[in-house]
Amino acid sequence: MPITSADIVKVRIRRFDPSSDTEPRYEEFEVPYTPKMRVLDALDHVHEKLAIDIGYRWFCGVQRCGGCAVRVNGRELLACWEPAERDMVIEPLQHAPVVRDLVVDRGPFEDRLARMQPWLARRVPHPGFPEPITHKDMAAAVPSFDCIGCLACQSACPVLDLGAATTFAGPALLVQFAQQALDPRDTADRGRIAFEEGGIFECISCYKCEEVCPVEIPIVERIIEPLKALAYRAQPDRARHANAFLRLLAAGPWIDPAMLVLKIQGLAAIRHPLRALKLVLRGKIRPMRTLFGSRATGAAAADVRRLLDTFDRRR
Amino acid sequence: MKLAYYPGCSAQSTCRELDASTRRVAAKLGLELVGLESPTCTGSRQVRAINRDLFLALNARLLAQAESLGLPLMTVCNTCTLNLLDTEAALRDEPETRARVDAALDALGLRYRGEAEVTHFLWVLMDKVGEERLRRAIVRPLTGLRVAAFYGCHLVRPGKHYGNVDSRNARSIERLAALLGCEPIDYTGRTECCGFHTMAHNERVAVKLSGMHLNAAKAAGAAAIVTPCPLCHTVLDTLQPAMEAATRTHIGLPVLHLSQLLGLALGMGEDELQLDRHMVRADRLL
Repeated sequence: MPITSADIVKVRIRRFDPSSDTEPRYEEFEVPYTPKMRVLDALDHVHEKLAIDIGYRWFCGVQRCGGCAVRVNGRELLACWEPAERDMVIEPLQHAPVVRDLVVDRGPFEDRLARMQPWLARRVPHPGFPEPITHKDMAAAVPSFDCIGCLACQSACPVLDLGAATTFAGPALLVQFAQQALDPRDTADRGRIAFEEGGIFECISCYKCEEVCPVEIPIVERIIEPLKALAYRAQPDRARHANAFLRLLAAGPWIDPAMLVLKIQGLAAIRHPLRALKLVLRGKIRPMRTLFGSRATGAAAADVRRLLDTFDRRR
Repeated sequence: MKLAYYPGCSAQSTCRELDASTRRVAAKLGLELVGLESPTCTGSRQVRAINRDLFLALNARLLAQAESLGLPLMTVCNTCTLNLLDTEAALRDEPETRARVDAALDALGLRYRGEAEVTHFLWVLMDKVGEERLRRAIVRPLTGLRVAAFYGCHLVRPGKHYGNVDSRNARSIERLAALLGCEPIDYTGRTECCGFHTMAHNERVAVKLSGMHLNAAKAAGAAAIVTPCPLCHTVLDTLQPAMEAATRTHIGLPVLHLSQLLGLALGMGEDELQLDRHMVRADRLL
């Protein structure tokens, strides 16, 4: 049923002040609905009429500054750009420390970004001015320039739920990093940085970042995958999974998951002997076939090798 | 109804029960599955990241073979489905890329026309077979079986292929499960990620994420999980003991392929559906 002027919007806001509270709490407010009400309008009403001490942040109000991103009913969005719903649970972004209520500290994000050389690095400055550069030259980097730095994707990324257990920098940092890494003029060792500071191959390709991006950047396909390619070109042996996958593909038209794991992990693949035994007993892996199977022949295998000869210049 | 059938790597190795049960269920529903002439892997997430042209050529080759059969191309794997859909989109939208891929296919004696229809077994069931025909085919309603759908990512995201709607709105598996007599349950992990694509080099992500989802399903009262993707199945089934150890809980949730759940309702035996091939026992469900 559409929301109307006669309705009351129920807003439950997660309140937390780390300087005085031990636990977060949820406080409920009732806001009279007004036509075309945005989430931000509801927050403004709460602030102006009901709870002057509520902590929230916004600046431009028109989807440009990225300051007002919050989670509404479990989904990251810009408060200034999305309509209010009848019932809203509003929470701060995840994966960033809370300053107060809905305001998160961007400091850790910015500190980590600073470690990724977020500037155009050039060994030798271009002689003269202006430097000729075409749209086509910049095509790879262009999607990253749309980023408004709202951190919605960073909040939505499930890999970051692992905290210190992952080296993954998160989508928002990688989009910022791509502004230089995918710029053809840049000469820094971006492949190494993508590994060491970006943890690039920890991305699980779930597309949750893309789903919440308010400016619709195709983060996985146009940012993370090109960065993976960059990292792989710089240090192919370090990209163990991708490297092993490509080698197995060259050996046969199908991938044997058991051989893939063996090639990536080596002897560590059998560190769970009970699991391995059960996998064999249930017919999920076939060790004789994996270890002693012959190189594939036939039309499919031949075609794969020809495609590899065409497109994999490293061969 | 005839369909070109592409099982993918997992359904021919670690999840052979998926291929077997899909073939049996399809036959029962009057679907004729025709294999491609000489199929290959679609490149998973790895090839597409490090060598995009090779990835597109691999997939365009599969699409061209489906076109030569003149049939919709049906997969049983979320990631294969997305790879094929992404290839269609890239070759439609990027003329220079298309020219490079066309030249490579030409050297193999193949031509991609851009007319192939990519579909997944779940979509075939819901859109081509239809709920009415499915309902008529049920001989053993799975009354009261509390199942939790686990969609996985690549059948609901990225939004550009799936109507740009909130992926949490996906309902087709629950609709199918209800039609089979099951009681579909709601829980937070339905459309979340299993973590498969980093499992081979770092399984901690998969154990942590999927452990959370399976515990949520269990807390919501699920007796089994059903998934349309063999990659999700591999994580949820194979790594379940590791999740139990990590979360210090007993999960014990059997994980069924979509085809197995349907097969049970169509009256097939556990042997036919190879329910004994799972790591978590699934042969005591009914």
